[in-house]
Amino acid sequence: MVARHSLELAVPGLAVGALAGAMAGGLTLFAGQPGGAALLALPLALFGGLYGMLLGHGPFRPGTFAPAGLLWLLAFPLSRLAQESVAPTGGMADGVLPFLAYQAMVSLGFAIGFLWLHERLMPYWLLRVRARRRNPRADELLAHYVRRASV
Amino acid sequence: MPIRKLPDAPPSVHILGPTVFLVALGVGMGESYMWPRLVLLFGPEIRWLFLIGVTLQAVVMLEMARYAMATGESIFSGAARVFKPLMWFFFAVAILVYIWPGHLSAGAAAFEEITGIPWTVTAVTGLILVGVVFSLAKVIYNVLENLLSVLIGALVIGTAVIAAMVGSWSDVVSTITGMFSIGYLPPEALSAAWFPVIVGACAFAGPSGMQQMWYTLHLRDSGAGMGAHIPRIRGLRHAGEEEAMPSRGFMFDTEDPAEMAKWRGWRRWVTFDALLLFWGVTMLVTISFTVIAQAAARQNPGVRAAIQGDDREVALSAMADAVSSAGSSVLGVVFLGFIALIGLNATLGLFDSFSRGQADMTYNFVPGARRLKMAHLYAGFLWGVIVFGILILLFGPADGPSGILDTLAFLSTFAMGAYCVTLLLVNNRMLPKPIRPRWWSNAIIGFGAVFYLGMLFYSLVAFGVVVG
Repeated sequence: MVARHSLELAVPGLAVGALAGAMAGGLTLFAGQPGGAALLALPLALFGGLYGMLLGHGPFRPGTFAPAGLLWLLAFPLSRLAQESVAPTGGMADGVLPFLAYQAMVSLGFAIGFLWLHERLMPYWLLRVRARRRNPRADELLAHYVRRASV
Repeated sequence: MPIRKLPDAPPSVHILGPTVFLVALGVGMGESYMWPRLVLLFGPEIRWLFLIGVTLQAVVMLEMARYAMATGESIFSGAARVFKPLMWFFFAVAILVYIWPGHLSAGAAAFEEITGIPWTVTAVTGLILVGVVFSLAKVIYNVLENLLSVLIGALVIGTAVIAAMVGSWSDVVSTITGMFSIGYLPPEALSAAWFPVIVGACAFAGPSGMQQMWYTLHLRDSGAGMGAHIPRIRGLRHAGEEEAMPSRGFMFDTEDPAEMAKWRGWRRWVTFDALLLFWGVTMLVTISFTVIAQAAARQNPGVRAAIQGDDREVALSAMADAVSSAGSSVLGVVFLGFIALIGLNATLGLFDSFSRGQADMTYNFVPGARRLKMAHLYAGFLWGVIVFGILILLFGPADGPSGILDTLAFLSTFAMGAYCVTLLLVNNRMLPKPIRPRWWSNAIIGFGAVFYLGMLFYSLVAFGVVVG
């Protein structure tokens, strides 16, 4: 039951992460290209889902940038590293450290975009969850969004 | 102005606000084409001018917000309070500069590259779609904010992911360090061929022309500050539900410490928006596109020649080809998709903003206009500019007659210098002392006026050319 509650909170983040990965390469499967870029979608979706769970369990506050920025500062370079390890595209030609440093810089922008979309999706998703079944964590988070929207 | 209570400010961490309009309007051809092109021509050091341009725009945004949040009035009404012809000048400039549908062409051309659908078909369909969406919406602001937020969000994560895949540490380091090479101007940048282009690029760093002035209308319609006391504009289908618009704005009691505390809360909120969302996102998208352009030029030297040319479409396709070679052919398609997305954002934002601004000025200052509802005026301007746009797309040059192009470019940049002067007058003469801008803020806005007007007239006097 608790697991279901947490997984439901992860859905919007999963969706945004998967969308970002798909932009980079999900379509490559249809184009008959090696699907290496598509591998980015999986870690980005998982970390995106993790963000949603952390939001529901309290350590992260909705709408604040710093937690999302910190999460992606670690998670984005790791996701890219996983992708390059499985299907190299030559991104690590200068070495692993410069590669990771560059990805960490880009992660800041990714975090802004992620949060931007997540904040749009999450309240609507929570409304749907509430209409279908009981999820106290989702209700609590929704109440927070409603309080903020009424200000 | 009548005194009313200032509403409570939202937490400054509230991630989404009317800034989304400025970002949607501001992140356009300047960021995706003009600046990457200048970097390939003159090196990353030229980006210090971009840093100045965007930072200046962030301060302009904060000062535009000051008047709009304190009174619930647009900056146009503020200008009319100072000197009515000043407002009519902006009314005329908006019509002259923004009725031409040229901004649609790049996005529609990119869409043609992807799908093969002729760009005029896409552009005309897009125009009609924009009109229908805004006419059917109950409260236009909500629809537009939701729509643009999703589009901008997709643009930001998409450009970040693509830059992550095609760029490198050295690209981003040179791009960022270039922003601090203050004063760098290579000899060829001061030529008749390139100086006007640089002036144009500075004007296009972030929102250009009158976009900042329209932001005050979005801020008001989002209920920011005293804007909460002003009814919202509705779509044509729901015009009957519109409440009566007051003929003037309101003011809160600046002698009351509780009200001043709320005011400081609103300022924190808008400052967060200006710094993180506006400055951050604009900077991020430009850096991403510059990194992509540099990576493209590295992989395919032909890109450099293409992007140096004057043909925007050729340059963008060359960048798309190079992006394709970095990952897969689909990456190139995704890149062109972003260009199409930028075109769509600009179209949505510009048409709404233009109609909103003209309707606001007409309703408040044209005798007899109050017999109509604001929603009717908005719809009139919206469909007027759409019909004119379709006629021009089908039968005329999209950017307007070539003979007056220079005049339009001049007016667009001149309006930016003029609104800096307007801001100084409005905020320092019309607002109560406790909420007037600080000296340093006035100094930056004053610098903005000198920067835009100075570069514009220097270009005109020294080279006989306006902006590029």
